[in-house]
Amino acid sequence: MVALPESRVRGSRPARGPVRRPRRPSAREAGTALLFVLPFLLLFALFRFGPAIAGVFLGFTDYTIGGDTSWTGLENFRRLVDDPTFWTALRVTVVFTALSVPLSMLASLGMALLTRRAFRGAKLFRSIFFLPVVTSLVLAGVVFTWVFADGGPWSRAMGALGLPAGNWLADSALVVPALVLVSVWSRFGYGMLILLARMQDIPAELEEAALTDGASAWQRFRYVTLPQLRPALFFVAIIETTVSFQVFDMIYVMTGGGPVRSSYSLVYLLYDQGFKYFDLGYASAVGVALFVMTIVVALIQRLTLGRDK
Amino acid sequence: MRVRKSLSAVAVALVAALAATGCGGSDSGGSGKTTVTMWTYPVIVDEAQHRAYWDETVKAFQAANPDITVKVEIFPWANRDQALATAIAGNKGPDVVYLIPDQLPKYARNIEPVDKYLDDASKSDYHENVMQSVTIDGKMMGAPILTSAATPICNKKVFADVGETTYPTSWNDLLTLAPKFKAKGYDVTAYAGDSKQTLNQTFYPLLWQAGGDVFAADGKSVVFNSEAGRKALNFVKQLVDGGYVDKGLITNVPSIEQTRVGQGKVGCVWYVPVAEVEKLWGKENIQAVPHFTETKQIGYGTVGSLAMLKGSKEKEAAGKWIAFATNAENTKKYDLASNFFSPRKSTGALWTDDPVLSVQEKQVSASTVGPLHEKARDVQGVLFPEIQAALLGKKSVEQALDDAAKAADPLLG
Repeated sequence: MVALPESRVRGSRPARGPVRRPRRPSAREAGTALLFVLPFLLLFALFRFGPAIAGVFLGFTDYTIGGDTSWTGLENFRRLVDDPTFWTALRVTVVFTALSVPLSMLASLGMALLTRRAFRGAKLFRSIFFLPVVTSLVLAGVVFTWVFADGGPWSRAMGALGLPAGNWLADSALVVPALVLVSVWSRFGYGMLILLARMQDIPAELEEAALTDGASAWQRFRYVTLPQLRPALFFVAIIETTVSFQVFDMIYVMTGGGPVRSSYSLVYLLYDQGFKYFDLGYASAVGVALFVMTIVVALIQRLTLGRDK
Repeated sequence: MRVRKSLSAVAVALVAALAATGCGGSDSGGSGKTTVTMWTYPVIVDEAQHRAYWDETVKAFQAANPDITVKVEIFPWANRDQALATAIAGNKGPDVVYLIPDQLPKYARNIEPVDKYLDDASKSDYHENVMQSVTIDGKMMGAPILTSAATPICNKKVFADVGETTYPTSWNDLLTLAPKFKAKGYDVTAYAGDSKQTLNQTFYPLLWQAGGDVFAADGKSVVFNSEAGRKALNFVKQLVDGGYVDKGLITNVPSIEQTRVGQGKVGCVWYVPVAEVEKLWGKENIQAVPHFTETKQIGYGTVGSLAMLKGSKEKEAAGKWIAFATNAENTKKYDLASNFFSPRKSTGALWTDDPVLSVQEKQVSASTVGPLHEKARDVQGVLFPEIQAALLGKKSVEQALDDAAKAADPLLG
């Protein structure tokens, strides 16, 4: 078997003639384009960017509903550091993300590879795999609560395999893995669709050339498909990380953050502080911490997965 | 050029339209009429019946006050605090809103006391414990319209299957019955321990029955880790450890029909309202019993009141509406329609002929709404995971309550 040098396939380019640099749009065209996106930009600024900025501002105040608001500087962030519940929620969120993102990406990639070829029923399978993405997580949470219940299908299956049976959602050590499984089930279809779209855009000539050079299926995947998927994988990683950091509704329905706060995420903390205890300044500080964390992780992912060659 | 100009015109029109919608919103039209908006929730479970009740009441009010229009909006119970808090923060809250005592301390800064809108005769007509439950710093935060008494309810069918004819009146009775129920495949009772339950209905009734309380008299510290607190938690732990209750409910409480309570496998429960089990058990199978007695005979009961928000621009009209909607005659009508009890002395007992509600009605005076403390919910937030820890055997009862107290005291400043 002949090993295929990475540079050889990386350097390959489909025979589509000389590549032209895209023409820069004129000022008039750019202005027209701007007008088209202006409504969205305005709505985005009004309902997304504006509240986000306001949220950061509130993190530096003692804002409560209807009360006087005063500037408290870093007080809310000092409280965060001293609050054991924050560290519990942070640990739960990080563990959940660390398990959920790679598993979800692996499942997405696996399913995309399985359904990339045109075969009878391929579209049906893709649709079925995408179905959990459009299923309400609250509804799915209710169903999975029953699935994981003591004596439920999951408990019985685990028992038969000699793995921990019983109610995983009531077990401090197993509750996060159980939630990760539900999260992966609900998210892999989205990543699959993104990766599938990118895979179908990979020129067939690249794989054909590798095949001619005697590359095995694994080598074609490792040295042809995977490098071409890098931008799509980066995108999926960013989206999955952000979604995982923001996990809430599924936990709210399935465990209420328990048992003993074993599944109490940062957004759950934010929700409790904001809408149960009305300590909106502190809740905003939690939101800022979450935002900073997401940005830092996204930058790390950019440096690793998303770096240019 | 023409295309460009057209696009510009469209964009300007769009921005203008957006700006116009953003700036809209007015309560009163130009007709000189005053509009009062009230938010309430499905207190009467049947939506059509509830809507009809308020339509009729509003009609009667407007006949006497033709210059005031009242809009009653009925929202779901779920996430009501989020909706209300967001509306208040955005200065879009209603003039009047239905609140229970658990909410009053959190909204106190947003509430306009109603004392001056109710006459003395009306105020003195309220039962004393009802008045206390809506009074913060000497001011009435709402005009009570209903009360409840969440007494234990027992499933007659389960008792018949077990061969028991007497119903429990104390913790000791429950513990005595428990093995017999277990042997027949039933749970003597249930304990709901997840974070979505309010401790007012689950753990606190036991704490009060043991003679304890949540806060010290001055409200500056918590006292649930007292001897009474340990006794109450030990009682629940005995039930859990003995296998006399469904352990799954400690961490997650699904909808009632998915629980053993809903499936008719539980003898008695003290935290589930009659309306929730009526369709599942059958009304004829419900036996209400007085609040359990340990050191004291006491339990949870709520008081529903109509509160006025400070942000109301029509306070006089809102005050008139509150006084009308909560007068003795309307209160009686509302309570009869909603299966609740009257907060007023003048209405007398409403349910003397109902086998279930008559028992609960007699318990109103032995019921409490729970602590009216600004940090009551925050304290529940640190106490419930520690209760879970004790019940799951991760901590001793003493350790769990002490840890909760350590986490709670700093919250009180």
